[in-house]
Amino acid sequence: MIKGATVGDALPSIEKVIDQERIMGWARISGDLNRLHVDPEYAEKTRFKGTIAHGPMSLAFLNELMMEYFGGEWIMGGKLMDVRFVAPIRPGDRIKIGGVVKRLFEEGGEQFVECNLFIEKGEGEKAVVGRSIGRIGDTRS
Amino acid sequence: MNTEERMRGEKPELIFSDLQSGRKFRTLEYPVDEGLIEDFMETVGDRHPYYWDKERSKSGPFGTPIAPPGLAAIYSRLSYLQDHTMPSGGVLVKQEFEFKGPIRIGDTLSVKAQAVESYVDEKDRKRVNFLIEAENQDKEPISSTRLYAIWPK
Repeated sequence: MIKGATVGDALPSIEKVIDQERIMGWARISGDLNRLHVDPEYAEKTRFKGTIAHGPMSLAFLNELMMEYFGGEWIMGGKLMDVRFVAPIRPGDRIKIGGVVKRLFEEGGEQFVECNLFIEKGEGEKAVVGRSIGRIGDTRS
Repeated sequence: MNTEERMRGEKPELIFSDLQSGRKFRTLEYPVDEGLIEDFMETVGDRHPYYWDKERSKSGPFGTPIAPPGLAAIYSRLSYLQDHTMPSGGVLVKQEFEFKGPIRIGDTLSVKAQAVESYVDEKDRKRVNFLIEAENQDKEPISSTRLYAIWPK
């Protein structure tokens, strides 16, 4: 998939709809039962005015994108960097997980791709931003 | 009393004064089985064949199904909250992950967390930076995580 990547290329994006059921699923597998995520009545009284998705779930989404793009090579040295949560993701949000190739470079005889990553919601509001570096290798899917 | 309230009753909150620079947490032993991976795939909506297709995995780079790397987001957090709950109101300012090797189904990870730096910044915010490293039962490195947080209290 990344053969012939050039700076400015858009990564094939992934779209998802976030609902309370998915948030409850993350609470179960992560053990993070903070009421801001799992208790709508409580969350309604907070400054968020409702439940929000767990931040770390967004990291799973970014990794999904990276596995699609780099294949198994991602696990052998891939780096997620400067990942920041800039806006909450709420039940009902339709999100787009994507990225853009920022730089291609060689190091130690190997080729790498650096990408700017994002998760957008609604009409393009950034919810998560970050960067990644992955190696172009032999284990692409 | 809901589940979280019960949990809160069992574990104290992890507060800033507990997080001196250099503090190490006890090692988290984190077993990775098929059930966990199935639940993860279902929740995230990520069914990459590497995670479940045994036949395809045989001829793939790892020879066997592997866990999604996004699992690092879960075990990294758990590694410093085994004996505590997280006080509400904190902010994860920045996160960084480096993946070093595959997690195979059936592995048990050893996850070591350390508060490498904690200080009060110029705006009187309580800053804590964690380094979390995971290896498998054969001492092979799996991941390295750096979390930069503003602690609530």
